[in-house]
Amino acid sequence: MNTHKKWIASRVRLGWALLILGILTIIAGIIFELNLTHLPYNFRLVTGLGILFAGGGIGYLVRYIAALKDAQSARRLAIEEQDERSVLIRTRAGNRAFWVSAALVYLGLLWASFASSGSLPALAGDVLWFFLAACVLVPFAVYIAGILLDQRSL
Amino acid sequence: MHNRLAELRAQHGLTQQELADYVAVSRQTIISLENGRYNPSILLAFRLARLFHLTIEEIFIFSVEDDTDILFGGQS
Repeated sequence: MNTHKKWIASRVRLGWALLILGILTIIAGIIFELNLTHLPYNFRLVTGLGILFAGGGIGYLVRYIAALKDAQSARRLAIEEQDERSVLIRTRAGNRAFWVSAALVYLGLLWASFASSGSLPALAGDVLWFFLAACVLVPFAVYIAGILLDQRSL
Repeated sequence: MHNRLAELRAQHGLTQQELADYVAVSRQTIISLENGRYNPSILLAFRLARLFHLTIEEIFIFSVEDDTDILFGGQS
């Protein structure tokens, strides 16, 4: 097996691992939701995480399994993934997302600091939930936008 | 940085995909290189130079003016 096929095979293994982990997490989430009703936790978050893992795993498998059968496709796919320009684009997008993430967390800290002195209303309930969701989703959106932007400019 | 990549590729009768396959990068990278939007790593520059039996300087043309702009913000 050549280097590219080995690399593709490692991606396929990662895909299966993610899929299995996702399915186990979904099952665990459903079991917790049905049996641990007395606990004050929202176990849908566990199920949601499982769906995310399983989705990622399926994505990997769809992308890489077909390439395993054909040496030329395996080579092209491996090259595309490790291509220096693509790596640069992903690195720049990740850097932007990191700073946005850091800024959001810093904003949250500032808010909490002002809230503790009574200058601002405390982050609680739905507002806190939306803020935390934004801390996850906004950097991710910035990462995707950064990739699209740099694919045009670089 | 300017380069002669499109000209050399045409001289050798290669498509962008064939050139990309020879130097193990994506076709999009070749397009970006030819358009001058992207400067290659030293490794890729060497691969291209070896493929065309030229030196790096014969393919990628270093411009003092462009570099001065970067170094001194246009004030030489």
